[in-house]
Amino acid sequence: MIRVQGISKEYRSGRGRVRALTDVSFTIEKNNTVAVFGKSGSGKTTLLNCLGGLEQPERGKIKCFGVEIHSLSEKALCLFQRRNMGFVFQHGNLLSYLTVYQNIAFPLALNNFDKKAISKRVHELLEKIGLAETGPALPYELSGGEVQRVSVARAMAHSPQILLADEPTASLDTDTGRDLVQLMFKMGREHGCTMIISTHDQKIINLADAFLPLRDGKIEKEDG
Amino acid sequence: MTFKYLKFWIRTAFLFLFRSGRSTVTLSLMVVMAVTVLIFLSALAVGINDAMIRNSVGLYSGHISGFSLPQSLDTQRLKIHGVVSVLKRISIPGILSKGNNIQTITMVGVDPAAELKTTAIWKKTVSGRFLKNADRTVFLSHQLADKLEVQPGDSVRFGLELNKNQIPFIVSGIYKTGIDYLDRGIAFCPFEVLPVKKHTWEAAIFIREGFEPESIIAEYRTLLPESAGFHSWKEMMPDLLQLIDLNYISMGVVTVLVFGVVSLGIACAFVIFILKNLREYGIMKAMGATPGEIGCLIVIEVILMNLAASSIGVLIGVVLVFITNHSGIDLTYFTSHNRYFVVSGVIFPRLTFFSLCLPPILALFFSLVSAIWPAAIVTRRKAADILRSF
Repeated sequence: MIRVQGISKEYRSGRGRVRALTDVSFTIEKNNTVAVFGKSGSGKTTLLNCLGGLEQPERGKIKCFGVEIHSLSEKALCLFQRRNMGFVFQHGNLLSYLTVYQNIAFPLALNNFDKKAISKRVHELLEKIGLAETGPALPYELSGGEVQRVSVARAMAHSPQILLADEPTASLDTDTGRDLVQLMFKMGREHGCTMIISTHDQKIINLADAFLPLRDGKIEKEDG
Repeated sequence: MTFKYLKFWIRTAFLFLFRSGRSTVTLSLMVVMAVTVLIFLSALAVGINDAMIRNSVGLYSGHISGFSLPQSLDTQRLKIHGVVSVLKRISIPGILSKGNNIQTITMVGVDPAAELKTTAIWKKTVSGRFLKNADRTVFLSHQLADKLEVQPGDSVRFGLELNKNQIPFIVSGIYKTGIDYLDRGIAFCPFEVLPVKKHTWEAAIFIREGFEPESIIAEYRTLLPESAGFHSWKEMMPDLLQLIDLNYISMGVVTVLVFGVVSLGIACAFVIFILKNLREYGIMKAMGATPGEIGCLIVIEVILMNLAASSIGVLIGVVLVFITNHSGIDLTYFTSHNRYFVVSGVIFPRLTFFSLCLPPILALFFSLVSAIWPAAIVTRRKAADILRSF
């Protein structure tokens, strides 16, 4: 279970103080898929970053499977992230100097998997995402859809408990985006993963178990 | 961090460097250049000092000067390990005259063939020729020849006392070294024609490169009677010793300044190189890589690149030194009036352990220092901040 209690986050920028999240609270049950939706600037990315430990909220608590992640030391938080979380970013964010194979293998190596286990798992994932032949390719050689599929495979490689996807289909056309979401949901459900996806796309929202509408950093209506 | 885990980061660092292509090559070239130049400069400094010592001892005195050596002592006894050759000389004070021109001199009896083979005083002949064994000839300094108003082929007379037992000699040649004590009251003749037969003798001892004269002298002291005395070139030529020290210090200062300037360039390039990959480090952090691991990755990148670039730099430096050591660098134009280069102005750069090791160590040190700031930025910034900026 993921329990978020009254988190707030503020940024300082050239335009002064920008309140990204205000007193956001919700709970997500294990294995659920939640779509966070809202307009651009509504705080979707900030919320996901806070949930993933990439950003520290000024106020409030986030408990992921019993662990209050923002009370952890920096190192302990990193270790928690690498074991329990997977990220899919808007533009894939593959490591550009590593091949597709090495990108997927990266979280496994971070988690100290042995070479054989890594090879088996990476090949299995490449098959699943339909890119079995692209292991030796570098990210710049892939299309946008392929990059996102590799990104999903990388996020799922170490079978995390939580998958956070920040507008994964934003840079893709409708069909490719739909395929990607279906793939992500299929893989996530196979692994019993709790998924939180930020999106504008109504089709994705419809596929989720629950949704979380955000407006100006606040939850408009809570469901789940 | 286990070895397996370290291997993973080393591999990642290697891939980062390898796939950064042009950036890695450009940065490596700076390190290669710096290391090569430093190695060559250090070798050149050593070569210049070698040349000054070689010129100074090779002209006449040898690395070690022996004196008051008993007549019964054979030169072979002085040829211990590390000694290349021993030249026997007998000096006697006397009077050299031509007509009314009279000069008090030191007549040095030498073995002309051995002197020709080992020393370079014959190369300083300005007129006539050097001595020949058993010829009743003398080889004079130009100052002495001027005072006596003699030319090669002229006859002079030498005796231990004025107008008593004077022996005639023919002037074979006149030399000019530019070194005071050799150019003033000295004349040379073959042993066989010296008027004195029983006398203690002196030795010019030449030692092999890499041997210290002090250790050879210490061994002589255990082998020979106490009356025998020895001076190393360092005692005989304190001015040269000082000049060598000065040369090392000034070359060291130049080296540090050169490297200081180069290292600024390397530092800037390193900062750009590391920050160029900021996005990659941000992604890694988002996947759970700790700041320590990211810092370790950056340090490994710096070390790997320095190892490769320094190896190439050392190799090029060694090849350059090897080539110039064989051909020599002729600086006669700049040294012809310098008394420390009386024999030859050719420099043979030479590598020492210090000159070979210091440049790569300096390169690594400056690179690591220059990596501190960008590494601190990368490790301190939050993954979200990094990724937001791209």
